[in-house]
Formats: sequence, C-alpha cells, structure tokens
Amino acid sequence: MTVQQTLHTIDAISTWVGKASSWLMMVLMTVVCVEVFKRYIISAPTAWIFDAENMLYGTSFMLGGAYTLAQNAHVRGDFLYSSMKPRTQAGLDLVLYVVFFIPGIAALIYSGWIFAVESWSINEHSTVTANGPPVWQFKFMIPLAGVLVMIQGIAEIIRCVVCLQTGEWPSRLKDVAEIDVVEEQLAHSELVDEESRKIAIQRAKEIDEAARQRGMGGELNT
Amino acid sequence: MSDPALGLLMLCLIVVVIMMGFPTAFTLMGLGMFFGYIAFYQPHQLFTENQVFDLMVQRTYGAMTNDVLVSIPLFVLMGYVMERGALVDKMFYSIQLAFRNVPASLAVATLIVCTFWGIASGLVGAVVVLMGVIAFNPMLRAGYDVKLASGVITAGGTLGILIPPSVMIIVYAAVAGQSVVKLYAAAMFPGFFLSFLYLAYIIGWALLNPKIAPPLPEEQRRVPVADWLRKFSAQYSRNVFVGLATALVSPSRAFAIETDNGRVNYLWLVKNFAYSLVPFVIVAGTLWLTWWYVVIHPQAASEAVSEGVQQLGTPGLATPEPVPVDQGPPQAFYWSFGAIVLICLLWQIRYYSRLDADRLEVIKLLSTSIMPLGTLTVVVLAVILFGITTATESAGVGALGAFLLALQAKTLDWKRTKEAVFLTAKTTAMVCWLFVGSALFSGVFAILGGQALVEEWVLSLNMTPVQFMILSQAIIFLLGWPLEWTEIIVIFVPIFLPLLKHFNIDPVLWGVLVFVNLQAAFLSPPVAMSAFYLKGVAPKHVTLNQIFSGMMPYMLIVILCMVAMYFWPGLTLWLPNYLYGN
Repeated sequence: MTVQQTLHTIDAISTWVGKASSWLMMVLMTVVCVEVFKRYIISAPTAWIFDAENMLYGTSFMLGGAYTLAQNAHVRGDFLYSSMKPRTQAGLDLVLYVVFFIPGIAALIYSGWIFAVESWSINEHSTVTANGPPVWQFKFMIPLAGVLVMIQGIAEIIRCVVCLQTGEWPSRLKDVAEIDVVEEQLAHSELVDEESRKIAIQRAKEIDEAARQRGMGGELNT
Repeated sequence: MSDPALGLLMLCLIVVVIMMGFPTAFTLMGLGMFFGYIAFYQPHQLFTENQVFDLMVQRTYGAMTNDVLVSIPLFVLMGYVMERGALVDKMFYSIQLAFRNVPASLAVATLIVCTFWGIASGLVGAVVVLMGVIAFNPMLRAGYDVKLASGVITAGGTLGILIPPSVMIIVYAAVAGQSVVKLYAAAMFPGFFLSFLYLAYIIGWALLNPKIAPPLPEEQRRVPVADWLRKFSAQYSRNVFVGLATALVSPSRAFAIETDNGRVNYLWLVKNFAYSLVPFVIVAGTLWLTWWYVVIHPQAASEAVSEGVQQLGTPGLATPEPVPVDQGPPQAFYWSFGAIVLICLLWQIRYYSRLDADRLEVIKLLSTSIMPLGTLTVVVLAVILFGITTATESAGVGALGAFLLALQAKTLDWKRTKEAVFLTAKTTAMVCWLFVGSALFSGVFAILGGQALVEEWVLSLNMTPVQFMILSQAIIFLLGWPLEWTEIIVIFVPIFLPLLKHFNIDPVLWGVLVFVNLQAAFLSPPVAMSAFYLKGVAPKHVTLNQIFSGMMPYMLIVILCMVAMYFWPGLTLWLPNYLYGN
C-alpha cells in the first residue's frame, strides 16, 4: 500500500464513523420532537429523555471529532498560517502535533479508559432521575473517540512528513463544504444571468480559500 | 517559577500557538495537559496518578452532558436545512419588487434578505458570495455607487452571527452560565436595531444624494401581472380585493376568463382571495399575540396555579390575606395598545382600498418566497421567547419544521439532506471539541492562579465600570481581527467573566455587547473576511479599497449601536426582564 492509499484508508475510516454518527443528530431531532408532542400535547413526559438527549448529542459530536480532523475542519487561527508556504505549514504542524496533540489525546484515551472501566465495573446508572438508564456505555465513547482521533492524528503527521518531502499537501477525501451552498442556490436560478452564475459556482472554493487568507496569498491584492 | 506566573505563561503561549495555525481544540488540550501536570505534580506520586487526568476526563464528560450545548446540533441543522431549502434569489426578487418605490430599493432589498438569511444561518462567507452574485451586479448595472453596494452586502452578511437563533449565543450561554433564552431575548432588539440603523443610513443617504442610487428603469420596476388578473380587474374593479370579493358572490363573469391552465374556477378565486388576506392576517395575528401574552396569558396562568394548590397543614390556620398579585398590565398599556390598533386599522383600510393587481402579485410573490422561512423563524423564536418550551425543544421542533418546509417547497432531496446532516456533524464537532479543550484549559488556568492574578491586576488599576467596559470591549475588538468568534467566545471571554461582578456589569448586557462588537471587528479593514469574499465575486474593476471604504460607515454604525446600547440598557435588557422577570 502506498502512503497515499494508507492516508485515504484512515480518512475513510474516520469519515465513515463520523458520517454514521452524524445520523444520531437526526435521531436526536426525532426524539426531541416526539418528546415535545408527548409532553405538551398529551401530557405524558418520559423520564429518561434528558439522558437520552445527552447521550445522542455527546456520542455524535465525540465520534465526529476524527471526521472533522480528516476534513481539516477544526477551527484554526489561519490568519498567518494560510499565507505560509506548504513546507513551513507542514513543519509547524509536525512539531505541534508531536508536542501538543499526541500527549493531549493520549491522556484523553488513558483517563477516559479508566473512567469508563470504573463506571462499567459498578454498572453505573444515571442519577438524573431515580431509575436512570446505564451510562457506562456512554462513558466508553471518550476512549473510543480518543483512539479514532489519535489514528487520524497519526495520518495527519504522515501528511506533514510527506509535505515536507514533496512540498505539496497530500490530497484529502472529497466532502461537502459550507461554501457548496452557493452552487446549490445558484444552479437552478432563473433570476441570475448565466455567466455570473457559472463563474461564481466554479470559483466558490477558490474564493473561500482566498478570503480566509485575507488577501495575504497575493492575487487578490489589487 | 510561581504558579500564577505559569498561568500567565500559559495564556501567552496559547495566543502564540493559535497564531501558528494549529487546530485550536488540540492546542488547548495539549497546553492544559502540560501545565495541569505541573500544577498537580506531587513528588511521591506515580506518573499515572496525577490528578490532571481526572480533571481532563471530568471536563470532557462535562461537555458531553452539557444541557446547553445539546441545542447546538439542532440549531445548526435547522440552519443548514433552511439555507438549502430557501430560495434566496426569489426572495431578493420579490422583496425588491415590494420596495420598488423606496429610494435605493436594491440595497434595501439586499439588507432585508441578509437579515432574513441571518435568522436562518450563521455563515458569513456563503451569504456574501451569494448576495455578491445575486445583488451586487444588478446594483452596479443600475448605476449604484460601488461603496454603497459593497458596504450593504458585507455589513448585511455579518448580521447572521448576531441575529437569533445563532450558535454564538448558545456557546456564550454555555461559557457564561447564563440562560440561552434570556440571551436570545436580549440579542433580539439590538440585532434588529442594528439592521434598522443600516436601513436608515442607506435610505437617508439615498435621499440626500439621489445620484448614488438612481431609481431602476421602468421595465425593471414593472410587476409581472398575470394575464388573467388583468382581464379580471378590467371585468370587475380596479381594486382586486373588492373584485375578488364580488367574484366570490357572482363568479359567472370570472369563469369566462381563460388562464394558462384552463378557465378560472371557484377554487382559483378562493386561493387568490386568501392571498389578498395575508397582510391583514399578519397584522391581526401580531396584535392578537401581543394581547394574548400581555392580558390573557397571565390571568390564565394565575388561575391555573390557584386551582391546583392544596393547603398543607391545618386548613384555615393563619391564612394570609391574598396578596393582590399583578392586576394585569398598567392602564397606559391599554391606551397605547388601542392607539396602535387604531393606526393599524386605518393603515389596513388605506392599503386595501388601493390594492390593485400589481400589489396582489407582489403579495403572492412575497408569500411564496419569504413566508415559509418567515413563519418558521417566527414560530421558533416565539416559542423560545414566550418560555413555552426550552431552547433544545424549540431547536428540535425548528429543525423538523425546516425539513417539512423544504420538502413542501420541493427544494430538498436526499443528497441535500445528507449534506446538511454531515455539515452539522462537522460544525458541532468543531465547536464542541473546542469546548472540551477550553474547559480543560480554563480549569488549569484557574488552578494555577492565573485567573486570580489577572483579576488582582485589573482591580489594582482602579477602573470605573465604564473604563473596564471600554477596555474589555477594545480587547475583544482587537482579538476579532485575526480570530474567529468560536475562539474568542470559548477562550478569551471566560477570562473577563468573573470580573464583571466586581464592576456590577450584567453578563447578559456585556455578552450582547460582545456579539455586536464582533460585528464591528468583522467589518474592520484590512482584515475583514467578508470584503475578500465579495472581492472574489465582484467584477474586475471593483477594488478592495473601494469595498473597504464602503464598509467603514457600517463599522461606525455598529460602534454607534454599542454606545446606544450602553447608555440605554433597556434596549437590551427590557425584553428579557419583561419576559422572565429579574
């Protein structure tokens, strides 16, 4: 397996888990709506709903961490960063991954594992209501999410090394981005002229990148 | 090195490392880990027994079970679905037609669309690019001043992060331990006030100097009236409202009219009559809702309470005199409410007596393009603000409502649903992981005594509350240049929060000032991102400097708005205090 394939395999795993767990948010929405109906319309609230909501939300965002990292979507102060050369970026990233990321996430895995095992050994139940649902499986999400993020972080470190060698960032898996809404809004518009529509759709990604660099990448500085 | 000094070192390091561009969530975790390890270090302890691990996992679990943050994925999902479901170009077109006789009508329409869009989503970039394509070129073609055109798009585009329901407000609520609902209520008026100030500025400027926004040519101002409606008003009356009402009684002449899809039938007439009633229904509904909340709702609530209560202990013993609870609203309310009803009535009579075919078409266009989005947001906000459900519940219902509306408008397919869900996952994970990191970081910062050191230092400066307010807002403003709102709210705002108590500043007021302040920061050259988004879609001859100079007045308006908010706290605090008491 080449390095690139390895990277994409790891990306694919993180992305799959993240996308799968993102559907929990739809479940969360449904649960909330059903509960609103039960509580306010037929006056029959459910006791464990508060725990269920927390678990759905907590699981979903924790497991989405690796997916977000694989898509480079964690917020970063990209003001200076994005105007650097790829090699400089990779060098900085590599150092910071080793210094901050690995110890931090390793600690999360370690402490999360102890936390979850202790909870499991006493078969811990939620104390929000008198007869709460078990919570130890929810606590196991912490080490699990930590391991996923760690694996993805190792992939990112490999990316930095590759970039240091070649001077170019290895590719990422394609995924939906916020700026895609431009295309969706304009694709079938009858009220905007053909030409400006096409230009905007084609250049949306480029514009997004250039704006994040705030003109420091050159090109726009007119 | 003493502990507090370590805390300060940690704070300086975080600023440096954020600037280096490493994902902030992990920077916070790593730094928190190291400094926490030093803070908890005991010489006789094993490496693995250090308490920083406990702190870390507790903070993580705290973020996972945070009942404020639960509403983030739901509001984010609602926003993404709405922004894929609503048709922004149709909205712009219909609003522009509705305001065709107002000076600078295109700019006014841009601002209104941006405000509406801001209710739906909180993204700056996408709005500016979209409005740049849909509104910027038409404005330039109509001969609008470049500065006016670029300023209104960039300023309108950043409104989204301020106007509720915005994710920024939820995150601030979680950080500051304030109620989300209260903050929503507080941000409501300043958000719309700001948008109103922008509007007043545009119209005022266009009135003083009509050259900057020449009126549109006649053919662009003409409303596309359907053929049958023309024939219809020729047959019945110039006033279509009267005409439709007559036709409902004696429809024979109407049935003779040919339309694109067959002859006019009775259902068709009813439908159009219903459209013509939309303005009346909106006005009457708003008035009724106000009346219901102020007069009927409190009475019903107090009756419900007294019915269900059973006296404990010995009945009849030491029963206190019934305290005269709130006897409804003050007399002044009835007078002013009556006056408002009268004014609305007169306005409605004038409106309906002049309702011609053009206006009916505009109503139809507006109702189909804005009404779905408008109804949903009004319902969601009303449900939150009146305290009927919690923020999480209204967010869940709002998200479902967004799905239903988008399905009804046939703008949602499987691909878009997936995209909205995946984007929600990424945005939520980004915000919440940042929250996990900062929870550890701020915990360690406090343990090291950095927080106390900062507090001591600020208090030793002997500042007045006004000075402190200006200083804190100035720092936030400067941080807004290089950083995103997520980092500012999650990392830097917590440092100021404990100080607010010393200076007797309401955290709700201060928070809303921060939200408005960030608007100014995001509009300040040369770092404002929205300017670069607009530059990306603008024609070649528009320079960045023109866009920047177009933005400047709006930045000053934001600062003016902040000053108004400070001297007139009622603007912010009246609604939350009225709705939820103190």
